[in-house]
Amino acid sequence: MAESVSTIRPFESELAMVLDTAYRVALRYTRNPDDAADLLQEATLRALKSKDTFVPGSNFRAWFLTIMTRLWWRMAKKIHTEVDVDAGEEPEVYLYQQCRAAGLHPETIDPARTILAKLDADQVSAAIDDLPEDYRAALALNLLENLSYQEIAELLECPIGTVRSRIHRGRNILQRRLWAMVQETP
Amino acid sequence: MSLTAYDCAETIRRLNDYLDRELSPEEVEMVEAHLATCEHCAAEYGFEQVLLGEIKAKMAQATMPEELRARLQAFIAKARD
Repeated sequence: MAESVSTIRPFESELAMVLDTAYRVALRYTRNPDDAADLLQEATLRALKSKDTFVPGSNFRAWFLTIMTRLWWRMAKKIHTEVDVDAGEEPEVYLYQQCRAAGLHPETIDPARTILAKLDADQVSAAIDDLPEDYRAALALNLLENLSYQEIAELLECPIGTVRSRIHRGRNILQRRLWAMVQETP
Repeated sequence: MSLTAYDCAETIRRLNDYLDRELSPEEVEMVEAHLATCEHCAAEYGFEQVLLGEIKAKMAQATMPEELRARLQAFIAKARD
């Protein structure tokens, strides 16, 4: 059945609108600009070919990210594996504790901004890219797309408790790595 | 229904879920009640909130190459015709 112009236009407009953040997610998935470009291009072509499967009015962003995530799994020959990670699930507030120990008191200074100002975007991205794959994917979707834990669970095809655990542990590991980078920065 | 107030440990345990808006309305109320009265936990929460915002801002600095953008827009335009 031929689609009317009025249904085709919003689809392509929606697609154009998600590309920027989808590229950032693809960068964190693949950790490589060339692979991220290939992944996003393939996902875009796939989305255009299968636009009939998108239900107008439903969540386009989630629909597109599902296509891209499945492609990434195939590209990476991804196998779901549980990673042995040396981090608890509860907030360690590691950076906060380190800042206090270093004399960066929140009462007198803005420690979070102060330490992040020492790192550029590439360093922060490198710290995230260093996380185990499953943690990196959950955290990228959480930080870049602001998706709920339930939406991320549906996208990554895992229980919501697993997503919660990966995001919480991922943040704990990330804080330790960011602090190590700050220490190494002159 | 009146619930027992959260202490520091119970509040910090929920900090990530609170930042991500993943708590129930009742839990949000309890966390906020504690943060309103505990300077230490409020400072920790403020730190984590700013930190997440700064990390997100740094991650958002990655921009799509113009050559890729042009290629994708051409695919979209072609599908539109």
